[in-house]
Amino acid sequence: MAKHVVSVVLLWAALTAVGEALVFADLFPTVGSHEAEDFDQIFRVLLFMGIPVFNFVVAMLVHSFLRFRAGGPQEGGATFKGTGAIPKVWLLLTSCLAVTTIIYPGLTGLRKLQSEANGYGWADTKGTLIIHVQAFQWGWQYDYQEYDGEKLAVSVFSLHGDGNELVLPLEVGARFEINSTGAAYDFATEEPSSGVLHSFWIPAFRMKIDAIPGRTTTMTVKPTELGDYGRDPAYRVQCAELCGLSHTTMDTPVRVVSQEEFKTWLAEQAKATKK
Amino acid sequence: MWALRTLSGGLGMGLLFFYIGIGLTAVLRNWFGYPEVWDRDFNVTIGYVFGLLGWVMGMGMWGSWGREWFGLRTHSYYIRGWQRYFTWSTDHKVIGVQYLATFTIVFLLAGLMAMLMRLELATSGLQFFDKSQYNTILGLHGILMIAVAVAAVVGGFGNYFVPLLIGADDMAFPRLNALSFWLIPPVALMLLITPFMGGLEVGWTAYPPLSVQTQTAQGFWNLAIVTFGLSSILSGLNFVVTIIYMRAPGMTWSRLPMFVWSMFVTAWLALFYTQGFAVALLMVTLDRIAGMGFFNADDGGDPLLYQHVFWFYSHPAVYIMILPGLGIALEIIGHFSGKPLFAYRYAVGAFLGILGLSGVVWAHHMFTSGIPNYLHGPFLVMTELISIPTGLIFLSALGTIWMGKLRLTAPMLFALAVIFNFANGGVTGIFLADVPTDIHLQDTYFVVAHFHYTIVGGEIFAMFAAMYYWFPKMTGRMYNMKLAKLHFWWMFIGFNVTFMTMYWPGIQGMNRRIADFPAAMDGINFFISLASFGLGAGFLVFVGNMVYALFWGPAAEANPWGARTLEWQTSSPPPLENFDEPPMVTGHPYDYGLPDAPAHARFGPGLPAGTPAGGGGGGGG
Repeated sequence: MAKHVVSVVLLWAALTAVGEALVFADLFPTVGSHEAEDFDQIFRVLLFMGIPVFNFVVAMLVHSFLRFRAGGPQEGGATFKGTGAIPKVWLLLTSCLAVTTIIYPGLTGLRKLQSEANGYGWADTKGTLIIHVQAFQWGWQYDYQEYDGEKLAVSVFSLHGDGNELVLPLEVGARFEINSTGAAYDFATEEPSSGVLHSFWIPAFRMKIDAIPGRTTTMTVKPTELGDYGRDPAYRVQCAELCGLSHTTMDTPVRVVSQEEFKTWLAEQAKATKK
Repeated sequence: MWALRTLSGGLGMGLLFFYIGIGLTAVLRNWFGYPEVWDRDFNVTIGYVFGLLGWVMGMGMWGSWGREWFGLRTHSYYIRGWQRYFTWSTDHKVIGVQYLATFTIVFLLAGLMAMLMRLELATSGLQFFDKSQYNTILGLHGILMIAVAVAAVVGGFGNYFVPLLIGADDMAFPRLNALSFWLIPPVALMLLITPFMGGLEVGWTAYPPLSVQTQTAQGFWNLAIVTFGLSSILSGLNFVVTIIYMRAPGMTWSRLPMFVWSMFVTAWLALFYTQGFAVALLMVTLDRIAGMGFFNADDGGDPLLYQHVFWFYSHPAVYIMILPGLGIALEIIGHFSGKPLFAYRYAVGAFLGILGLSGVVWAHHMFTSGIPNYLHGPFLVMTELISIPTGLIFLSALGTIWMGKLRLTAPMLFALAVIFNFANGGVTGIFLADVPTDIHLQDTYFVVAHFHYTIVGGEIFAMFAAMYYWFPKMTGRMYNMKLAKLHFWWMFIGFNVTFMTMYWPGIQGMNRRIADFPAAMDGINFFISLASFGLGAGFLVFVGNMVYALFWGPAAEANPWGARTLEWQTSSPPPLENFDEPPMVTGHPYDYGLPDAPAHARFGPGLPAGTPAGGGGGGGG
């Protein structure tokens, strides 16, 4: 018995040591926002905790598979039934593990995500930049509402492949107010409809929220890295809720620029909109 | 030709009633002054309700059941040979085989659709299918596999083996059982004609408003699901009553085999929660054909309502799929480890704990759906708590093999793989239960990999374990064990390579349900596609082995595995009444390797007088 315990523990330790390398591996797309930093950290914590658990099962299975084979069908093995202390200890340990995971990184992470009752995202929930997003089949319209207290009248209409970008300034809390509509765009071949579900997702920021007809949902992010879709596909607005025929191509580019550049861009857009 | 007679009766009556329904609707529409007498969804829905009744009545429900409602004499007959599988049979063993054969075919078909999807996903861009074809394949693969996962094990192995395992001669309601099965062919028909009726574009979850607005064959799909729900509820009821009341004398709750325990819990889940799914799709149907506006914001409805009602069922449904799988795994591990099942009572407690928790975690599918923030915390907590009862299943499995004398037959290998795969699916489930990580991972290939690990890795592997375990009992023939082991290793490696890899593009930001993706992910997707073709090809070994064994395999013994439970103490295949002499349960099913343990059961007259049925007073635990 003792030698089996020792060898299973060694196997477990070895597998875990190898597995934990994953925690240090760069599995993630570009870290483009404060939210992304925290997401990746929580992901790593869960990976760090999950790998020993998984590998315990693997070590037990592999060891038993190799060492506890029957010589013949009538041969008996050990006879314990698991009515003693082991199940109680197991129950206690797994409960502690579950409660720990619930509290950290579960509820602590959630609290940061929802620092205010209506918050959704780590950035300040009021937002310095406010953008109304309208999702439709199959594209997005961004109405820039307000930047740094100033009212804006800039509108970007963005379809797959037309190159129109969602432009965001670096290190500014952007608040998206998202809606779904059927009226914004009318494909000649399709009848107009009153809007279906979409989901507004930017992989580089690790944030997404559904666009729902009849409701406004909100999401805030604070970009921390310059980037654009041309160089990095993580900088895209991707619809993440099956929304019909062209759901697969409901992705449009995102560009994060410096604050000065953003002001220039706003001015250009305002001119273009007036024309 | 009984088979031909019954089938033509069913089809004939079904079609006749269908046309009556359609016609009646058209007449009424005309009478009430609608400009168009024909509206596909509307007329077909009414016609379908008529046709469904005609079909089950024509198949034999009228002759063996319906007539007695009107004071007429019912017919009962028993047919031998292959033809009974095509008739209204009330024998649970026939019904079990009917389910298994049907869903094995559906499984292979839906697997083929997965291959088609991987073909398209081998590189970015659209090569083989257009968007509409891809969406149709995607939706059909999803719903057909859901149907397989819900009904193959429960309907197939549940029907065949629950009565045998508890020492009963049949299910509690045999005619209801036959009805449950014969509701399935219309479901299959309605789903399989969708590609020719305009396709599908909403995936198996069918979220409105899209499922209400879509001009595709959504209406057919809805009718199929409501029917499937009815079948599932009836069979759930049947299992609950059977397991409570039909146990042989001495089959106390603490002597119940693990597979029966898992089926008991599963049956409660199906009975309680399936209504959610059926109601959700019924509401979509009413929105579509009657404009009731449940989910239309313009009419004061709410799209989120659907998601709640839908996930009321569809999360417990995950346990309807996985619990019988875990039950099979523990059952087989219990018989092939040469020692008693470890912590039996804790494993039973685990099943009951999952039963209790499964109904209060549904909104973890909706963390990014725009539900109020305050709902996130409770559902995170409840979801992660499920890991505690689930952990006990692992305890039981690992404790049983520890220091055992394992017989590594094909069923045992598959059962051990269930534990491996489900550990992977369980650990990655935490990432999705945790809100901050879920917000990124929701609707990506991470989710796809995770649920394939739980459902395919957990349940489908268990389904194959059960096939290899019970095949000799069902057919009286033995398959080639070497080929079965080859199938196992092929499927195990193919499955793990395919789906372990799939986590990564998910993290990288590849969303699911798409025919096209950023070109940066070409390499990894090509690799996954290749691996999945390998996985798919492995099933040819299974089909070849099983078909050969069915016709030409050597005769199987009554108890080829030397197992203690009741189904192995009768001939292979069992006689009509299951046991030649009534069984009396006298011991625990998993007391292997204990020299002085009493046998699980003995047979014959000499039972104590007045022993109650249903095991209640049959002896101590």
